[in-house]
Formats: sequence, structure tokens, C-alpha cells
Amino acid sequence: MISVRTAALAALALAPALAAAEHAGNDSIRKNGYQGPQTCEECHPGTARTFLDTVHWKHASRVDNVDNLDPRAEYGMQNRIYTFCNGNDIVNTLKEIPANELGKTKLTGCDTCHPGDGIQDVGSRGPEAEAAIDCLVCHSARYDWSKRKPYKRADGQIAIGQDRSVEAALAVGKPGVKNCMACHESAGGGTHIKRGFAFDAEHDVHAAKGMVCADCHAAKDHKIPTGFDPNNWANDGVRLSCEGCHGLKPHSDDDYDRHTARIACQTCHIPTAGGAVAKDFTHWAKDEATGFWEPSTINREVSVTKPVYAWFNGTVRNEPHLIAPKGNRKDPKSKIAPFKVYEGRAYYDAYTGKLLSMDFAQPTATGDTLAGVASAAKTLGIAKYKPVPGWQKIYFANSHLVTKSKALTCDRCHSESGQLDFDSLGYTPAEVKKRKLDSAALWFEKLHQKEMKKEEW
Amino acid sequence: MKKSIAAVVLAVAFTLATGTVARAESKMLGTVTKIDVAADGGSAVAVMKDAKSGQTVEIHVQDKVTLDKFKDKRIAPGDEIKLKYDAKGGKNVATYFKKAAGC
Repeated sequence: MISVRTAALAALALAPALAAAEHAGNDSIRKNGYQGPQTCEECHPGTARTFLDTVHWKHASRVDNVDNLDPRAEYGMQNRIYTFCNGNDIVNTLKEIPANELGKTKLTGCDTCHPGDGIQDVGSRGPEAEAAIDCLVCHSARYDWSKRKPYKRADGQIAIGQDRSVEAALAVGKPGVKNCMACHESAGGGTHIKRGFAFDAEHDVHAAKGMVCADCHAAKDHKIPTGFDPNNWANDGVRLSCEGCHGLKPHSDDDYDRHTARIACQTCHIPTAGGAVAKDFTHWAKDEATGFWEPSTINREVSVTKPVYAWFNGTVRNEPHLIAPKGNRKDPKSKIAPFKVYEGRAYYDAYTGKLLSMDFAQPTATGDTLAGVASAAKTLGIAKYKPVPGWQKIYFANSHLVTKSKALTCDRCHSESGQLDFDSLGYTPAEVKKRKLDSAALWFEKLHQKEMKKEEW
Repeated sequence: MKKSIAAVVLAVAFTLATGTVARAESKMLGTVTKIDVAADGGSAVAVMKDAKSGQTVEIHVQDKVTLDKFKDKRIAPGDEIKLKYDAKGGKNVATYFKKAAGC
């Protein structure tokens, strides 16, 4: 029987031939031009309306795996308050930043990646919202991103341009890597800052094989499957995992295959993380060249930091000072998984103990972070609050930067200087010693045989 | 004293002999004013306006990821860029070229 993985690779091999097949609607587009979603709807009726129900449009969804949330409410970039992005789409909506001391201003906001036009914004509904969808920003291989910039309309509203050219419309298809990464690599304040991964041949074995994001995150009705992540709450209700393609016995090695019962694939196959490790939203740093201020950030390049390992069963501990995976060794649903750990400082309300949000307009112009808190509080209708700085630790799932050649081998975990901290994972020193979990005695013969095989020329 | 002088003389002699001077990597926050991608698509020259000095600097870009961003205008004139570059063979060659802004 053909495996899912084999079928996927076969499909990849056929991809160039399939890509050569022209989109069936191109004749109509050539003849009638491209008018946005109404053109797409000629062959894909109802798609625009259903797209408005997805996370990509709403930037939120109901969340059933995170502590201390209202199960009837929706959560996501639209409204979350946490310390990686201390603003959100509501308090830090696209706007013109006040002039800084050099007289410079700019148009920016958390929702600049929303696939609308800036006027029909996050979570908007109705025919005008449907007409504002930027289908081509995700689906065109020839999208001109220089057209997708914020601008001020004659009525003073800030909008975002779109490329609705016939040239772009004639190149529609499954989203390519650049369609996804144009937004997803820029989250959190700049390139690779939030997620800290690049999806290219150098950094990911799937990219090296020619796969694109949508090969794993294969959508149906624009609902995008995602994995479980302590810090990525909004979801379209569809989940994916490595096992979906690779199964539970992907190695030609029984010892490695035995690990899959309690060790997530990412643990061995994603031994690095990247991006920002800490930010301070209470003190912003001024760029003397531009006169603008930014949250003080300690950033690290892609694939240079070591993950932290913890048991994870897909549910999340959500407290004002901690967002972390839940799970433990005794829980059969838990596996050891790698996480990028991040710490952020922001203002908490001394009266409630809850984290406060921030409008970035004022601090960007002047560095006055409390003015940003005051503006956000006004937007959210919070009349009385007392801001005090505090730290929050956040665990991000480490799910990209996948490697085969640099995956952890026995010696990388089972030694005193190994990647895993057995103590923090619930293994007593006595058990570690008894089972030789940190000793070459556990793996020497096996690895030596492999080394000998490698040295056969 | 003699030892110190000898050390300096040796260092100068080594530098002259090798014909190279170790240069520090340069950094810049600037705005793209023009991008010319070579006909074969394998390299490009980006003209950058340094936000600090206001001067323009030509930066040679050779990495595929950035070149792809030039081609589909994910990086285009008007974008603010954080970049690092080395002077090599009379050219400023980018070692890091990323958009400064995010969401």
C-alpha cells in the first residue's frame, strides 16, 4: 500500500507538469479583466463569504485548549494581550503615527497583513467586506507587493493598496512560499523576529525538497490546518501533525521508532530555534537615524538558539505571567516537545493583576509608553487602572527549521551535556543512573556500528 | 620598548605583504531608492539612502532569498531596510538585507 508520504512526494515530482496547466479561468480574465473577488466568484461562488469566517480574515476563533478563556468568545491577533505583541488589531489598528521630533510620520499598525483593504478590516462582514478581499496576495505567483502599501485616502482614512492587475490574476494557483512568508516572516516587528524561522532550502528539509507551506498546511475551504502551539491560539478547527504524513514508525531503526510514542518528532528534528528572546515594552529604544522608537528587543538569528523541552498534551496554561504547555510524564497524551522560550516586559494593572495593552502610535513617535497604554485603555473602555511593569514568559511551539541530517542522535540527548534536562522532565537522578539515560553505555555499540558504516568508502 | 617597536613593524610588514586590511562589517538603516536586477537574475544592485547621513550607497546583493524579494517587489523602492555589508573587490556586498518594519 502506498504511504501518504510516498504519495505526497510523487505529487511533488509531478508538480512541474501540473503547474504548467493554466488556470481554467484565465480566458475569462483575459477577456473581461480582473475586478477582484467578483471575478473569482464567477467560478468559485460563495467562496468570499465563507472566507470571512476563517482565521485569516477574523484573526480570531473560539479556543478550546487554553486555560482561563471564555469558551463563547473568540481570541487571536484581533484582541489578544500578551507580551510579544503588546498591541493588537483593536488598539493598534492601521493609522498615521504622530510626527516624531524630526517631523517624520508613517502609516502602520498590527493589521497591515490583514488580507482586506484596511477599510474592510479584521472581522468585518457583508458584501463590502467580501469585495475587499485580496485573493491574489495569497494566490498569485506574480503579485506585485509594491502595490500593497498603506496610503491615506482623500477622506483621511488609511487604506492598504492591492495588486488587482490582470498580470497577477493570470498567475493564480496554490499559494507559494513567498505568498505565505510575505506576512508570516514579518510578524512581531520585523523579519524573523517572532517565529524566528526561514522556510528555505538552507533551513528546512521540506523546503529543500521543493515543498511549499500549503503542502503541509493544506487548506480546505480556506480553513488552514495548524499544529498545537501554546502561543498560537486562533485556529480554523483543523489540525495537522508530522505523523499525518510520516506515520509513527518513520525510521528504519526500531530504537528511534520507539521514541515516537513519547517524543514529538520536532524534539529530534528541530534542535534549534531563532528570533527574539526578550522584549521590553515599558522602555522603547530610539533610532537616532529615523527619530522613531521601537520596543527594546533582544533578537537572535534564525536557527541559533537552543529550544527548551517540556511535556505537552496540546493544552495550555494561560496566566498573566506565563503562557506554557501543559502535560506531564504520567499523562499518556503528553509528549516531550521543543519550545522557543521568550520573556517580555510590559505594564500590568495593579488593580486587577492583568496585562495591559498598548497603542504603538504614541511610543513610536515619542517613546512615551504610558501614553500608549492610556490610548489603548481608552479604546477598550478601561477607565481606572494603575500600570506597573512586569514580566511574562511565553513558550512558542518550535515547528519549523526541520532537519534530517542534523537531527539529534542518541549521544546528543543521552549524555551529561545532552540537549534534554531529564530532571526538569520528571526523571529522578536515580532513574537516570539506573537506565543509563545520560551515559554512552546506553548507545555506544549502536552508534559505533553506524559510524563504521559511515566510514565505509 | 624594542619589543614593542618590533611588534608594530612586524604587523605593518604583514599587512603590506598580504595586501589586505581587515575591515569591519558596515551597518546601515536606509531606504531603498532604486533596484537593478541583473539580466540573468543572479545579482542586483540596490541604491540605498542612509537614514543617518543622507548619503546614497550602492549595495550589491547576491543571495537568492533577497533577490527573489526584489523580483516580486516584496522589497521595493521606498522600503526601509536594515543591512550589513562588506567591502570586497571595490564593491559593497550585502551580508544581511532585511526589511526593518513588521506588523
